[in-house]
This record gives sequence, structure tokens and C-alpha cells, in this order.
Amino acid sequence: MSAFLVALIAGIGAGALYAMLGSGIVVAFRGSGVINFGHGAVAGYTAYSFDELRESGSLYLPWFDPIPEFGFLQTLRINNLPVRIDIFDNVTLAEKPNLAITFIICLLMSAFLGLLMHFLVFRPLRNSPTLGKVIGSIGVFLYLSSMCAVHFGGQNRYDEGFTGFNSTSGAVKNFLGLGGTIPRSNFWLFGAAIVMCVAVWALYRYSRFGIATRAADENEKGAALLGYSPQFLAGANWVLASVTAGVAGILFLHKTQPAQIALFVVGGLGAALFGNLTSIPGATMGGLIIGMIASGGVELTTNSWWPEIIPGDGVRNFMPLLIIILVLYFRGDKLPIRGSISIGRQPRAPTSTNVIIGAIAALGIGLLLSNIFVSKWEAVLTTTIIAIVFMYSLTVLIGFLGQISLVQWTISGLAAYVMIRLMADGTKIRETDFVTNTGWGWPTVLAFIAAIAVAVIFGLLVGLPALRIRGVQLAVVTIAAVIAVESLLLRNPPLMGDGSVSVNPTPSPNWFGQYVGGFNPNTARTDYWKFSLFIIIIAGLIGVGVANLRRGQIGRRFLAIRANERAAAAAGINVANMKLLGFGISSGIAAIAGCMLAYKLPGLQTDQFEIFGGLALLAFAYLGGITTVWGAIVGGCLIAGGLLPEFLGVHFESVDTGLINAVGAIGLVVNAKVTNGEGVALLQTDLAKNTLAALRREPDETEEAEENSNNDTEEVTA
Amino acid sequence: MTDITTESSSSANGTNLVEVKNLSAGYAGVAVIRGVNIHVGKGEVVALLGPNGAGKTTTLLTTSGLLKALEGSVTVLGEPSNFSAPHKTARLGLAHVPEDRSLFFGLTVQENLRLGLRGKRSEQAAGYESALDLLPALRPLMNRRAGLLSGGEQQMLAMARALVSNPKVLLVDEMSLGLAPIIVERLLPIVRNIANETGAGVLIVEQHVHLALEVADRAYVMSHGEIVLEGAAEELKQRQDLLEASYLGGELDEETV
Amino acid sequence: MTNILETNDLTVTFGGLNACDHVDLAVPTGKFVGLIGPNGAGKTTFIDAITGYVPTSDGNAVFDGNDIGELKPHERAQSGLVRTFQSLELFEDLTVRDNLLVAAYPTRWYTFIADMFHLSRQDKEIEERVNWALNIMGLNDVSDSMPTDLSHGRRKLVGVARALAAKPKLILLDEPAAGLDTAESQTLGGHLREFLNHDMSVFLIDHDMGLVLSVCDFIYVLDFGKIIASGTPTEIRESAAVKAAYLGEEAGEIQVQEGERMRSQQHESGEDND
Repeated sequence: MSAFLVALIAGIGAGALYAMLGSGIVVAFRGSGVINFGHGAVAGYTAYSFDELRESGSLYLPWFDPIPEFGFLQTLRINNLPVRIDIFDNVTLAEKPNLAITFIICLLMSAFLGLLMHFLVFRPLRNSPTLGKVIGSIGVFLYLSSMCAVHFGGQNRYDEGFTGFNSTSGAVKNFLGLGGTIPRSNFWLFGAAIVMCVAVWALYRYSRFGIATRAADENEKGAALLGYSPQFLAGANWVLASVTAGVAGILFLHKTQPAQIALFVVGGLGAALFGNLTSIPGATMGGLIIGMIASGGVELTTNSWWPEIIPGDGVRNFMPLLIIILVLYFRGDKLPIRGSISIGRQPRAPTSTNVIIGAIAALGIGLLLSNIFVSKWEAVLTTTIIAIVFMYSLTVLIGFLGQISLVQWTISGLAAYVMIRLMADGTKIRETDFVTNTGWGWPTVLAFIAAIAVAVIFGLLVGLPALRIRGVQLAVVTIAAVIAVESLLLRNPPLMGDGSVSVNPTPSPNWFGQYVGGFNPNTARTDYWKFSLFIIIIAGLIGVGVANLRRGQIGRRFLAIRANERAAAAAGINVANMKLLGFGISSGIAAIAGCMLAYKLPGLQTDQFEIFGGLALLAFAYLGGITTVWGAIVGGCLIAGGLLPEFLGVHFESVDTGLINAVGAIGLVVNAKVTNGEGVALLQTDLAKNTLAALRREPDETEEAEENSNNDTEEVTA
Repeated sequence: MTDITTESSSSANGTNLVEVKNLSAGYAGVAVIRGVNIHVGKGEVVALLGPNGAGKTTTLLTTSGLLKALEGSVTVLGEPSNFSAPHKTARLGLAHVPEDRSLFFGLTVQENLRLGLRGKRSEQAAGYESALDLLPALRPLMNRRAGLLSGGEQQMLAMARALVSNPKVLLVDEMSLGLAPIIVERLLPIVRNIANETGAGVLIVEQHVHLALEVADRAYVMSHGEIVLEGAAEELKQRQDLLEASYLGGELDEETV
Repeated sequence: MTNILETNDLTVTFGGLNACDHVDLAVPTGKFVGLIGPNGAGKTTFIDAITGYVPTSDGNAVFDGNDIGELKPHERAQSGLVRTFQSLELFEDLTVRDNLLVAAYPTRWYTFIADMFHLSRQDKEIEERVNWALNIMGLNDVSDSMPTDLSHGRRKLVGVARALAAKPKLILLDEPAAGLDTAESQTLGGHLREFLNHDMSVFLIDHDMGLVLSVCDFIYVLDFGKIIASGTPTEIRESAAVKAAYLGEEAGEIQVQEGERMRSQQHESGEDND
């Protein structure tokens, strides 16, 4: 019992990080009405910067050099964008730069990040629909995480940060006579969280800036009428929020690897929701509670009576989700929904009229490419098509139905792992496999169908909260579900087999006597032609199904719900059933994509289905066009490892995945602003239509048009 | 438009604090008001009357810059009202008490008032004191949250918050909505007072036609997005039949005029 | 004569006070009934209550002989109690015709499978009904346009047409004329009476007195959540209570004072019911 209590108390350490991140999320929300999924990434980037500055004396700016040092572009001899500033010279292990100066420089960096987020992302998106804002903050998350990978390699760091915060310096033994030991730094971090809480709270309580922020948060119109610019307040609060994130990141440098700090945003979101998205003390308390119950929960799993099937890491990562669900369940309808003067328009979702022609063309091109391509390019083609299949699931759920679920890629992973477990029979499949999975030895088709069934059931479970909550709240639940499900269900050897925590070997799939796996034993590459054929047919069928869904009754109903749930109910639509249907269909498609990936690869890496991969897929689906089948196809070609970057990679010699994702994140935000999420696909369609219309015009009409053009331009400028 | 007086429209000259010219405005690009002309002079109280849905509130929102004009112009204190930045119009010296009052319910009365303060420290103090002198009922409520006030107290707070900024132009929308006439009778004369003492121009939208005409110098009557009647308050009071016709949906034919 | 809709003591409470206060109202089958009242009187709250959008705290509503208190909004719509909205609330991403089709077609559990293989058939009767609704609202020429490309007035008509397409037994029109200019609202008024020839009853809310007085068989007047008058259009035109409610004359003072506390409370709880 006392061990449990000690674990609870020790949880104030991680709880302090949740608390500080939660407070920052509240600050940004009060200032701008945006829930920032990228808040943890700001902390992570600042932490990396701090470490880099201490280790090498260089500060990396949060962007990348658009003109690489290699490839044909270097011949242009354009001055490169400065990326690195060498601030301190002669840094050695013994002589590190001054701690305080480093600290201040890094906080300036995080303030700068805040300004960038305000001016480049959230201010341009202020009149966008909820989806656009969520996408914007996901873009920040993806961009900064990618920048961490590009600049700092995503490696582990070992700077001890502030002395005294160091976890190795003198643990507290026998705290309050309970026995056990608690790292001294946990108490320091707890203190820091409390200090931050009081400071921000007092600022909001007593300063005119703080009062004006609270006022604008409650009633933007009222604040504007009194002469306060909502955009100025938003910008100032973004800076404040980012600085708190920077402080949190630096203070936790010694405890958590900076690459992981971005993921702590989930606990921060839980904390912020606990504080109703408005209360700093509430968020601080929520963060501490999450940290404590997570730590206590993990302690419980060390007991002998604890069922082995629930891993400790899963328990830890489940706690933020639990808190988020509880808060939304009990207070969901009382959470503030920011009243904006204009809510903005949803992206268009036109019907595809020529489904059959399009399908035949796409199949033809796919088969042609598959025939031309050999070796690596065959693998690139199948990677692209798997991404396209996955993006179809987002087209249905996000594009048609308007439900922002971030957990779909995890559902793909769940299906893949379930399928592997069902098919495995304890025999070694390839010479190169490290692990041998035990399982039930089901035949391929049966395991495939069962995996889809499991994914659909899980998808319906995820859909249940969507009956009560919507928009950004659903995004919060699903992002927390990603972290929880990954460690609770996927990386779980008793449930998913020993392979689930290392490289999970995939059994050879046999459909009606044909081997359709991507792994070619002769070349030891993933370029087997029958797999290409198989997946091109699958992708074609699903694409036609999704396009037909859109032009049928269900598609109309989905779009009606996306546009207006109240009016949909008045039109006799059973909104709850339709939403569950959407979650079911989408999860089924996502499951197929996951199983196809398992077919393709000889083994699934543990990070195959992690959060960054899922967000990157969402980013590129959105960039391609979230509302159309054509958009999914374009999006699939854009992903890292897909056709377009690999093609460009021939010229650039090597293109970093991080860099591609960073470019994708920028494209995501630009796309949200410029095309309202309709993406490249609809831009292309519009362009083609306009060009065709212009070509069809009779010559004399053109002259008239030219005569009228003066008037037209006047109207435009007016 | 039916103009039942001759002298009222002649005051449209350079001294006007607010000039609305040929204004069309609405929501999502669809005009709710069309071709509206309104002007408010120094020290003048002007009432904007008409049935529900006539476009009175839309007119006020466009004047203070919360809504974009589709056509026409709005000039406040000589500057074109900036449609994308109502806070700039507010800093010119325009105070708008909107229909929903836009109080900050989570803030105390004092914090609400503090946000309205503008100008030098001495001006702030003077504005604060004079507003509370006009609405003394707020003094004992300083530390109460605005959300806990009664409807009448909320309206007083909304008025006070507008007054502490020493406005040169004051727009008040539906001050009487949901208030007992006895409270309205107490609040409306304050508006008259401000105009007389500070020379501010006041534009009020009012449900209680008769109370409004008591304090106003001039009045406009709107119906279906257009101004259908304009005149001095004294004369409009005499023409009850015209008012009723525009409210109860009858036609304004030439004979009644 | 039977009543298609009857409410008995229907009460809706926001923050401890009544936005609809023991409303007794009846719509006889095949008749055109109106409900008028000033801003904030509780008209829309009343429609929200009988269509299931806000919970009632007392009383009941009987539609077509059944107590509908337990039904969800979409179930009420499916049973023939169809409403329009005061604000546009159209499905902006669907064409005008698709807006109507959404309301017109029923869904079965297997529809999505049929859809995926593009096997859904058109129902002749339903298509005819949709065409009729487009026709009567004069929307034939824009049936393939997006609602956002239409004028405000025509968009309101799409909302009415969508309700008609759902085959209502009683159509509840919430301020269909709000935001229309005089000409448009007269055109609308001219068509409203035609609805009665198609097996439906009509319940109209509007604050445009001219429209309500010209088309209704019977009118209720609501102020501060209570019915303060009812009668034929002629009786309502002469009623002193109505003039008081609209112009704020002394005659209405007693009721106004009663309502004052209620409204201030509503504002506190953030409810804006009209």
C-alpha cells in the first residue's frame, strides 16, 4: 500500500510537465480559441535548442534550407536561407555556455515560435471552419516534430539542464515515513509548475492585458467594441503560451528525451480540459492528477495479481484519455465554444460523375506503372497505393461526414496486428526473422476478414463519443486514443505476440492458392508483382465504392450531417446511426490498408503505426484533397516514400522523411488557408474545367470577353 | 421614404458625427438593409424605430464596423468606419451598446468598467466618476460578477461601460429589451443627459416607441430593410397612424401622408 | 374536427424560469394557424419544444393522436411533423435538389451497400414529390445550383421546399419571411395557402404581422412565453393587447413587468430563445 502511495506522490514529477503544458494550452486557447496540438512540439523544439546550444554553441532556426547542398538546384548559386547561428565559440564538455544566458536565448526562441504560429498559421486561419483550425495545429505539431528530426536528428540528449533538477542528485528517501525513494527533481518540478501557475493566474487576474484577454475570450465582439484588437490579444497570448511551453521543455530535458516531449501534449490536453480550457489552476491541478494516477497505475501493474495482458506503459498512457473522456462526458456541453463572427465554409465535396471511366483509367495507369516499374519502383508504387487506400478512409470520415478522427491509422495498425496474430502458427517464416510469433494459424482470407471485423468494432467504439461531442473535442479524444491504444493494444506481447514489441514478422498471405505478399524471396525486396496487381485491384474497388457512396443517398446524408446536424435531424436523418455507419465504413477501409501494409512488408516495425505517421498521412490526404477520391489519389502520391518525393529524390539524391513531412505540414497550412481544404485535386479539376471552357468558347465570344474585361477588373477591385 | 418634416433633413452638413450614406449591408453577402441614409449631429439624440427584423440592429452593427457594408459608406467622426477592425472605430471615440449587451459575465463589474477606460489617467478617472454618478446603483455592486446581476443592472453596467470612455458617439441597441418600463424610464433620460452635457451624438434603437420619442430629437422608422419614415420626434408623436401602419404591416399609401 | 397538433400546458424552463409558460394551443387538421409575438416572446422555443430540440419541463404535445414526448427530433420528422428554421440551416454542400432528396428518401440499414455498388433505385413517387416541392417554391431553374449561389430569399424558399419534400402532415414554418423584402414575402404568402391542398396543415410563426394576418385561419399571440390572445385575423388586428405587446404602450405594462425578471435570468444563463 505504501509503495502505491509513494508512486502516487512521485507522479507529481510527470504531472508537473502535464500541468505546465496544460496551462500553456489554456493560455493559447483563451487568446485565440484554438486548441494547439502542437504545444508539446514547441516545448520539444525549445528543449532540443537548449541542449544543442549547451553542447555545440549553435542555435538552429525553426526552418530548413530550401536549397539543398546537393542536386541541380545548387548550381543556381542563390544565397541560402540561414539556418544555423553559432552563438558560443569553443564549447567543450568542461566549459559549457552560461546556463542563464542559454535559458534566455531559448525562451526568446520559443517566443519567436509563438509569433510565427500566430502570424503564419492561426491568424490566417481565424475565419476557417473548425476542421481548418485543427488541421493548422496538427500542421504545427508535424512541422516542429519534423524540424526536430531534421535539425537534431531526433536523437537522445544528455544535458543535465539545471543542477538540482538533475534526477540523479540525491533522491528523497523515506518521504513522510512511507519508505521508498522519490527523485528530488520531482519536487523541484512540482514547485516550478506551481510557480508558473501562480504567475500566469496573477497576470490574468490583475493586469489589464489579462482582463482584456479574459474579456475577449468570453465575448470577442464586446472586446472589439471597447477598442481591444482580438488579433493583438491572440498574438500576445501565443507568445506567452509558447514561452511557458519552452520553460516546461527545458526543465524536463533531463527526465524525458526531447523527441518524446511533443507526445506529452496529450497529457497537457487532458490537463487543459480538466481546467475547462479556461482555468490555469484547474489545468495545473488536472495535470498533477493525471501524473499521479498514471504513476500509481503503473505501480499497480507490478503486483503479481495484475493481469499480464494489460501492460504498465499502456496504463500510463491510458490515463490522459481517461481524464479527457470523463471531463467531456460530464462537462462536454459546458465547455466554451468560441463564438466567432464568421464560422467559414466547409470544403466542397463534389460528386464524381465519371466513376467507371475514372476507375478504368486509374486501374490502367496503375497496371501500366506496375508493368514498367521494377525493383525499388515497384515498392514505391505499392507504398503509394496503400497510402491511397488509407486516405479513402479519411475521405469518408473527415471529408464526407466531417468527423475529425486522428486515430484511423492506429486502427489500421490494430487490424494488421490482429491479422498477424490470427495467421501466425509459431513457425519461423523467413530466415531473417528475429522473432517467431505464436498464433491461431487461421487461413489468410479468414484472418483478413476477422481483422477488419475487429477494426470496425473498435471504430464504432471510437465513434460512440462522436455522438455527444464534435469538432475539435473529437480530435482531442482521438489523439489521446492514439497514444493509449498504441501502448495498450499494439505493443502488448501477451495480446499481440512477441513480435509486437520488436519487428513483427508477417506470415505469407495466400489468396485462393496464390501468394500475394509484397516480399519477394528471390530478391529479398518488397517488389513482388502479384502483390502490385492484387493491391491495385483492391484500391480500384474501394475507390469506386467510395465514389459511389458519395453520389448515393448515404453520401448525401453524410454531407447533410457535416453541414448541419440540427437541420439533418429535422430532415428525418438519424444522425447517431449515420455517424456510426461512417466510423464503421472508414475503419473497415483503414483496416484493409493496414493489412495490405502487413502483406507488403516482411515485418512491421514498432513505430510503423505511431502518431507521426498517422498525422503525416492526414496532412497529405488534406493536401491532396480530403473531400474527393481524386484527392486521396493525389495525396497518396505526395507522401514520403510515395511516387512524387521518390521521383524528386532521383534529382536530390536523398530526401529526408522529416523534410518531406515538414514540407507537407507547410502545404497543409497553406492549403487550409488557400483552398479551404479542398486540396490540390479540386484546384486541378477547377483549372481543367476553366481551361476547357475557355477553349470551347467561340472566337467572336473571346473578343467580346476582351472588350468586357475592363469592366470585369473594375468589379473585382471594387 | 416618407419624410413628414421639412427642416429635419436640412441638418446634414459638415458637423455630423455619424454619416451613413446609401448603406446596404447584411449577412453572407445578402443585403438585409438597403439604401439607408442616417446622420447624427453633435449633441443630438436620434431614435431608430421599426418592427422586428426591419434591419435596425444591422444598421448599428455596420456603423460600428462589426459588419461589412455591401454598398455605400459610413463615416464616424470624419473617418471612414473600418469594416474589418471595429476596435479602431471604438478608439476613435465611438461606444456601442449592442443588443446582447456583450457584457463579460465572468468578469466583475469593476473589471468590466476598467476595460472601458480610455485616454489619460485624469480623463479615465473623470469618465469613471461621472458614469457612476449617472448610474449610482452600480456602486455597491463593484465586486460582483456581471453574470450575477439582474437584467436591469446588466443594462446599467453596459451603459456605464460605454460612458466611462467619454464617447463622442454613442450607439445604444434595444436598451429596453426585457426590461420593465420603469427601468427604461430611468435609463433613457441618461442618454439625453449625455448628449446635452458632453455634446456627444447618440443613436438609439428602441422598442418602446413612445418612450424613445420622449427623449429623441429626431427619429427614423425602418421597415423591411429600408427607411420608410423620418422626422422630428415631436411631429412623429402626433402621427400615431403612420407609426402603427409601419409596425403592423399595413401599407403606407400616399393618402395617409 | 380533429386536431393534428395539440399542446397542453406545454412549459419550457431555462434557468428556473419559463420561456414557454403553460401553452395550450391546437392546430386543427387541414387548417392554417399562426403564432405571432415580439422578439424574445418564446415563439421559436415553442417550435423547438414540439420538435424535440429543447426538453419540456411540463405539459405534453399530441401529434396525430400520439403523445410525442419521448420521440427524438428525427423520429418526429419521420412521423410527419416537419419544421423549417428561422436561420437558413441548409445543407450548403449539396445542390438544391439534393437538399430535398435528403429529406425525401427513407434510409434502410442496407442502403450503404446498395450505394457502394451504385444499385439504389429511384422511387417514382418520391421524385414526383420533390419536383412538386421545387415547383411550388419556384426553384425549378436552380435545382442543380448550390444554395450559396442563390439570393437570401430563394434560400429561405429552399428551406421550405426541403420541409415539403419530407411529406409532412404538419409543416412548422419558423419565420419564413424574415429577411425577405416586401415583394418576396408577398410572393411567399401567395403560395402558402396552396400547401393546404396537399394533405397537410400549416403552422406559421412570423413577426411580419401583414403576412400572418393575410394567410392564417386562426392566430395565437405569444408574449413572455404566455398566450395573451387568440382569434381570427380580424379579432387580432383590433386587439389592444397585441398593440401593447408590439408598440410597448401602457396597456402592456403589467405583462412586461412580469416578464422582466424572467428575461434577465435568461440572459444570465446565456439562453437566447428568439
